[in-house]
Order: sequence, then structure tokens, then C-alpha cells
Amino acid sequence: MDNLQYAELFLTESREHVAAINAALLELERDASGPGAKAHVGAIFRAVHTVKGMGATMGYAIVAELAHELETVLDRVRSGDMLVDAELLDVLFRAADVLEQSIEAATAGRDGEVIAADLVAQLRALGAVESANDTWTVPPPAGDGLLVRVRLAPDTPLRGVRAFIIIQSLATIGEIVATEPRSDELQMESFGADFAARLLTPFDAAHVERVIRRAGDVADVQVGDDTPALARRQPSVTIEPATEASAAPTAPSETRSARARSRLVRIDVRRLDAMMNLVGELVIARGRLSQLAGQLGDPALEETVTQSSRLITELRDEITASRMVPVAQVFDRFPRVVRDAARGTGKQVDFLIEGKDIELDRSMLDEIADSIVHLLRNAVDHGIELPAVRAAAGKPATGRLVLRAERDRSAMVITVCDDGAGIDRSRVLARAKRDGLVDASKTDLTEDELLRLLARPGFSTAEKVTDLSGRGVGVDAVYTRVRGLGGAMDIRSTPGHGTTMQIRLPLTLAIVRALLARVGDEVYAIPLAHVSETVELLPENVRTVKGREMLLARDEVLPMLRMRTLVGLPAYVAPSAIDLEHVIMLDVGERRAALVIDELVGQDEIVVKQYHAPRAGLPFFGGATLLGDGTPSLIVDVSSLL
Amino acid sequence: MSQTVLICDDAIFMRTMVGDILTQAGFEIVGEAETGVQAVEKYQQLHPDLVTMDIVMPDMGGIDAVREICKMDPHAKILMCSAMGQQALVVEAIQAGAKDFVVKPFQPSRVLEAVQRVLG
Repeated sequence: MDNLQYAELFLTESREHVAAINAALLELERDASGPGAKAHVGAIFRAVHTVKGMGATMGYAIVAELAHELETVLDRVRSGDMLVDAELLDVLFRAADVLEQSIEAATAGRDGEVIAADLVAQLRALGAVESANDTWTVPPPAGDGLLVRVRLAPDTPLRGVRAFIIIQSLATIGEIVATEPRSDELQMESFGADFAARLLTPFDAAHVERVIRRAGDVADVQVGDDTPALARRQPSVTIEPATEASAAPTAPSETRSARARSRLVRIDVRRLDAMMNLVGELVIARGRLSQLAGQLGDPALEETVTQSSRLITELRDEITASRMVPVAQVFDRFPRVVRDAARGTGKQVDFLIEGKDIELDRSMLDEIADSIVHLLRNAVDHGIELPAVRAAAGKPATGRLVLRAERDRSAMVITVCDDGAGIDRSRVLARAKRDGLVDASKTDLTEDELLRLLARPGFSTAEKVTDLSGRGVGVDAVYTRVRGLGGAMDIRSTPGHGTTMQIRLPLTLAIVRALLARVGDEVYAIPLAHVSETVELLPENVRTVKGREMLLARDEVLPMLRMRTLVGLPAYVAPSAIDLEHVIMLDVGERRAALVIDELVGQDEIVVKQYHAPRAGLPFFGGATLLGDGTPSLIVDVSSLL
Repeated sequence: MSQTVLICDDAIFMRTMVGDILTQAGFEIVGEAETGVQAVEKYQQLHPDLVTMDIVMPDMGGIDAVREICKMDPHAKILMCSAMGQQALVVEAIQAGAKDFVVKPFQPSRVLEAVQRVLG
């Protein structure tokens, strides 16, 4: 990957972060002293911090410097050291704007073109004022030895390295018993304003302090005072008798609550990805191991294998859980998107987000975010009508747009629902006829046909459709993305009443439960999320309608697909009369079909591996996996079959 | 007698800049190196009081050069020159024996503070 590609990545990601900063600033402005203020400041801080790290890595000095100064100010706000007032908000809003400009300039190869000097100076002044106050934020580390507390100067470059140098210089005069946070976190710069250490040393406090100050960039040092700073600063009004019983428990509990705060660590997503991959391999090995153990039939071995299988499952669940983040992390920037889209088009929109707490795999969430933005913008641009039009149709002037996240079986369902005009079917139909995509005699489109047409690359992006009151722009892009993630999409639209777009996604990208089906000599994997039931294929239940085979299943008639036909194998020849073929009932949202296979092999957890489809290959495979016995197997992309 | 400095950086621009800052502060630049190998050779010849060392250089990087120099002279005074975002490398350099670091873009005052600490 060359630098240009990095710049591209940097730009896209930074824009998102700037949007997040803006959104959080708006929230903060609305609610500067409310209970949510802390969270808003935290959100801004995180976004700024990320931009800083990326900017520095790219060598964009202005971006990095600006972000750094902004971060210092925010850190003070976050620690409750600085109040959020109108004046500060003004500076922060301006900083967000200048940061955005400097990002755009830097990636266009004009780093330094944006003059940010006065803003930087202003931020620096805000960040520096009395920053050397004497509250210490980290809890003292456990253990014996002299307690050493250090606060770095606010403009310290590479704070992690400086902390490391300080710890190293302490190690030359004694033994470091412990540090808070741990030394690897210190090196990673995962500490706030200050850090602490326990030192066993023959030297006195004054000498220790000299050694620390000599290591450089030190704003404040405290050696040897073990009293929690808070207790010292805010003496309690009621003086309790200093019996051991009442005095002893207070200190540890305070330490504990402070500890609890610092229990969260930031983890690089790549690390989580790596762990997920390893666990994926482990899951495959587990399958192989159980199979081998089963063959050997040694009870002791089998017991051990069963136990380690359980542990692997637990490990996998833990890692999967650690990758899950509430969708709010991404959804929270959508109100700004909707507000801007509404303002730009003169619409009035009431935007509602439901199910913010639902969790989704972090990578999946990142992948799907753009698509949701697309759907939301479409809903405002093309779905919801202008206030006057709505009033004329007898609807409230303000349109309603709902974004909902919910869990369904092992899938995540994201719904974007508006109460706008709906898609104008007749015009989509007219266009489809003109392109020869549907039969000229057709008079109406079903929901499925509508989706299929809109999802056709090029169809929906064609200008003539864009001009229709119905939406279309980018539905194909969203559809492609969703399918790429192993998900499915549905559109329901009622003229005059609105449109509902639904995206179904697997909860995680990497591991899914699948049904294993043998067809000929091959075993195919079919994700369980799309399987509703399996039955034997009774010949009397098969009907042929207009040359297509249909299956009668209870009170339904389902289109029937034969896997053998799909992969180009000759028809199934039963070894004996009782060996019936099997049918897997597939569903994707409202769409259903029956897939005929030779035999069900079983059910397993499979690890989805990237699969580069051969150009002329069959279009209904969405990935590949390794089965427990090590043989490769293709994963059926159910949504493309239906 | 002024204190002597060996400047190691593969970019002339950076060598000139560090050289100017240190010369103005009264140091004597006794040598320059463009690669890690050169840095080690010149250290052996010149025994300077101070070395400034870029992290990324062709033909043996700065960190390996620090290791080599400290093998010859455990009391070598080496100041690392790093870019932002290189904390892991700087930590490695410090473990290898470098005494302190400055971050590009260089501010003269910061460079001189760091030099004082190294020579301290």
C-alpha cells in the first residue's frame, strides 16, 4: 500500500471523526451541565485523539499539533478541571472547523496551508493554565515501597516514551515494585494526566524527586505521601473516631473505585482481528480433534477433548463479545446527518433511533455504517415529502424517520423506515420495461421484483430514476455491500405511506453456525441464520407450475431449487427406495425457497475465510471454509439464491 | 573547549538543521553520518561527547547503531531524533542505550533541553 492509499484512508476516517466531534459538540452545547456532558466530552476527546495519532503517523504536522492542543484542553475539561461555557464551546467549534480544514489541506498535499497558529496558541493557553494543580488521578499501586507520583508537562511529546525514561531512571536508584498504570500501558500512552509507581530505594524523597525531574518534561512530582489526594483536599466535616474499624475500609474502597475506572484499556482492532483469526483456526482444529478422538475411542482422551472443546467455545464467545460494541457508537452521528439532509432539502424530519444498545461486531459496524447513511439520506431526499406536499396529502408536515436495530435469532436486523411518499412503482416499472428487464405485459411489481430492479447495478444510479420521486440512488451499492457481508436486504414500500428498508446481518464476520449438506462428492455449508427447517423430499409434494418446480410445504408453496442443477451435476440416483433427498427451507426476510440436496451431514461452527470467486464461477457462493476433517467447503450465499 | 557532536541522519536537511541549532549553542560538529554503519565507524574514530541519531536510516538503522556504539562505549551519550508516532521505536532505542529523544519537527529549545539532559 503506498502513501496515497494511506492518505485516502486517513481522509475518510478523519472526516468521520470530525463529524463525530461536531455531533458531540452540538450535544454538549445543548446540555453543558447535564448528566450526559461527560460522555460528550469523552466522545470528542476520543475522536480528537484518534485524529492526532493518525495525523502524526501521516506526518501532517499541523493536523497533529492542532489535535494535540485540542486534546490537552479536552483532557482538562474531562477531568473536571475546566468548565464548559459558551466561550470554551466557541473555541472548540472553531477548532473542529480548522481541524477539518487542515485535514483536507494536508491530504491534498498542502499541509501547512491552513494557518492555525493563533488557534493553537489559544488552545495552548487554555490547556496550560494551572495544569499543575495537585490532584492526582491514578490510585496508588499496591505493594511496598515509596509512592512516587508524576505528572508530565502538558505539551510533552511522546508521553509514553517520557514515562518510560522516568521509570527507567528510577530503576537506576532502586527497585520498581509496581506502576499504575502498568508499564506496557504507560509505554502505549494509555494514561491520563499522571502516573504512579512504588519504589524500594535507599535514597530519600528529595533525591528521588531530583532524579525524576532530571528525566525531563516533568510538571509535578510527589514522593512518599500515601494519603489519597482527594481526602486531603476535601476534609470531611464530620470527624469520625479514628478507630481501625472505621478508618481502614475507607481507603481501599476509594482505591477500588478508582481502579474500576482504569480497568478499561484500548485495544487495537487489528489485535482483536488477529485473535479472532486464531480462535477461528482453533475452532477448526477442535473439529478435527474431536473427530480423531472419536475414532480412537479412548474415554480419557475423549473427556479431555470434550473439556478443551468447551474451553475453546468459551474463549471464542469471550473474544466475540470483546469485539462487540453498541451500535450507538456509529448511530450517534446519524442525527447530524439527517438534520443536515433535512435542512438541505427543506424537509421537516423527526428522527428516531431505536435499539442503540444492541451490540454488533466492531468491524461489521464499520463496514455497514456508510450504507446506513445512504439509506437515511435517501429517505430524507426521496422518501419524505416537503411539508406542503405532506399537508396536502393530509399527513403531518413533519415526516418521521426511524432507524431501528434489533436482534433476531443469530442475526442483526437494521431497519430504516420513513412515512414518506413510497417508491413510485409505475415509473420503476416503466423504466424496467424500457430496458427490457421485465415482461412488457407486466402491470405491477412485487416487493421482491422492486428490490431486484433497484439493486441492479446501474439501474438505480441512472439519472432518470434519480429524478423520480421514488428513491433509487445507491440502493445497488448498499445491496452489494450487505451481500458482501453475508447479509440480506428487503424493501417494502406502500405508495403514499412510506418505505421500509431492512438489512439483515450476521452478528460477526468470522464464525457462523452452518448446516453441512452433501451434494455429489462435495459438502456445502449453508448459514443457519437463513435456514428455517429441513425435511425429506417426498415426491408427492412436488408440483410443476409453468415449467418451474414448486414444493408443497404444509400450507405453503415454495419455489424449489435443486443444488445438483445449480452446480451442474446429473440428477440424484437414490441407492435405495428409502434414501430420499433432503430439502432445506431457506428464508431471507420475507423471501423463502426450498433447496434440494442429497444428504444432511450435520451442523457445525464454520470459520468464514475470504474467497476469491473465479471470474466465471458460480455466483451463489459467498465464501469458503475448512471443515473439521480439513477438507475445504464452499459457503452458500443464501440471499443470492433467492 | 567546546563539546563535540556527531550527527547521524540520512537527510541533509535534518543534519543541517540539527547542526545549526547545536553550533549556535556552542557545540562543535566533528562529524556527520548518513547510515548506521557510518555512525558506528565515525563514533569509533571521533569519540564525540554527544551523538544525535535518526531512527530510520539505510544500511543499519539508528537503533542497531545505538546498540553497536553502546557495546563499544557503555557511556556513549546518544540522543534519538524521532518523528511523532514512533514511540515503540524510541522505547526500543532507549532500551538499547540511548539517553533521551527529540521529536521532529525540531524546536531549538527542546533540542537543547534534551541535549542538556543527555550530557547532564
